[in-house]
Amino acid sequence: MTGSPAAQHQLDLVPDALLAGRAADGDTAAFEALARRHGPLMRATARRLTGSLADADDVVQETLVQAWKQLDGLRDPAAVKGWLLRIVGSRSIDHLRKRRHHADLGTVENAVDPDSRPKNKDPETNAVNSSRIEALKAALAKLPEEQRRCWVLKEFNDQSYEEIALTLNISPASVRGRLARARITLARTMEEWR
Amino acid sequence: MTEPMDVGAAAPASASAASADLGILAEQLLGVVQSVEGVSSVYPAQPLWQSIAGAVLSVVTGDTPALITLTDEAGVLAVKTRIAVGTSRPAPAVAREVAEAVRRHLLPRPAAVDVSVVKVGV
Amino acid sequence: MNTSDTLECGHSLAELSAYLDTGQIADPVHVETCPECQAGLASLRHLSELGRELLSSDVAEAGSGTDDWMQSILDNLRLELRPGRSIPLQSGNPQDTLWETEGSISALIRSVADALPGTAAGKCRLHGDVTTPGADITVEVEIAVVYGHPMEERAAALRQELAETLAVQTELTIQAINITVTDVLEPPHPASPADATTEEQP
Repeated sequence: MTGSPAAQHQLDLVPDALLAGRAADGDTAAFEALARRHGPLMRATARRLTGSLADADDVVQETLVQAWKQLDGLRDPAAVKGWLLRIVGSRSIDHLRKRRHHADLGTVENAVDPDSRPKNKDPETNAVNSSRIEALKAALAKLPEEQRRCWVLKEFNDQSYEEIALTLNISPASVRGRLARARITLARTMEEWR
Repeated sequence: MTEPMDVGAAAPASASAASADLGILAEQLLGVVQSVEGVSSVYPAQPLWQSIAGAVLSVVTGDTPALITLTDEAGVLAVKTRIAVGTSRPAPAVAREVAEAVRRHLLPRPAAVDVSVVKVGV
Repeated sequence: MNTSDTLECGHSLAELSAYLDTGQIADPVHVETCPECQAGLASLRHLSELGRELLSSDVAEAGSGTDDWMQSILDNLRLELRPGRSIPLQSGNPQDTLWETEGSISALIRSVADALPGTAAGKCRLHGDVTTPGADITVEVEIAVVYGHPMEERAAALRQELAETLAVQTELTIQAINITVTDVLEPPHPASPADATTEEQP
């Protein structure tokens, strides 16, 4: 047990709160360990919010830049995961806004990759299992944008109505309404997959 | 950081032909810096993300920022580079060798070389 | 399910949706006993479950944090991370200015501590005026030691290793290297964020 694999492993043992404290103190290795630990969830969230994996990586990158700059202001280091995900949320929204500014890409995010459409209702269990996920993806992509955002922030990141409201710059009551509409639409679509 | 230089006169020597020359020269110098033993990579001379907006722009356009910046300052060529150095050789010696290699390449043109080691080790 | 948002019993799916998140609804007793409401809740819960499946599938597809995509993001990030003070190096020509960033030296110190079996680096500081050549510098390093490794011995080994590395890789005049063991780490088993009891107070 010598060299960097061991070091990597040792940092992986360190809990979030300690890593966040060290990172706030300027420790880049601790910050990178946090980034590695929560990167996949950040990337998955950004992908559903922006609609593409390439955008998701830009968002994760921007999120980490912002997180590094603002770590000093994180009051509860143990809550670093939720904090990172909230930044992912707002950066994803900003990202789409900026892209729209450059060109009208309004259709991009609702475009569904042909391969990801549910192909058929194959009775084989494996196929059913993955194709109902595909069905949910397709249904999600068809939702109005604001509804989809509310749903992703709630179901993927477990944000409160107030947190979602802050991220999207709408009222908590609107969040409640949009989330409900998203769920009703999705639940209806997915009824056949029960 | 470039105290000996007159920072106020930091604009390139106008003419587009001259700036194209500088572009070619910068590319040559990049090769010179990279071939110094112990240099493991060369970073953009200006930090990539002075701002988040800048990052978005470079991501969208795919522009790669200049790895070596060259500025003609009253006849003296100011060269700026940021490097990462491995641990096989002492970093200070590598930095000196980079500066000397750049200076040698530019002869007989007078130059002022600024080398920052921003990373030591893997 | 109905095409309308309102159930036969008068409650709306929107109310049930909020109930799912907050546990609050005007008439909890009704909800518990009303078949319509229960069916609506079951449908919404089923959707939540599918949402969790989609999340795990997406996270799995996103790959590991040790994959290339994250590595390239982190490589870019390093350029932005606090470089610290610029430490001058002797140059061979008076026209040239050579530097090491403080960040590069701190990172070097941390990598030495992390590479030593049984230790992980914590805070690291260079005290003294590193911007003046020849000024007296004191290095302060905090480390965590993995449980079972003798602390005194680990600290002494690290001090020795750091003295050698810094003598080669910098031109700093190191007066002292102070090493403090601030944490003892559990031997390898997956850490959960909830175990954050060893956190030190600033």
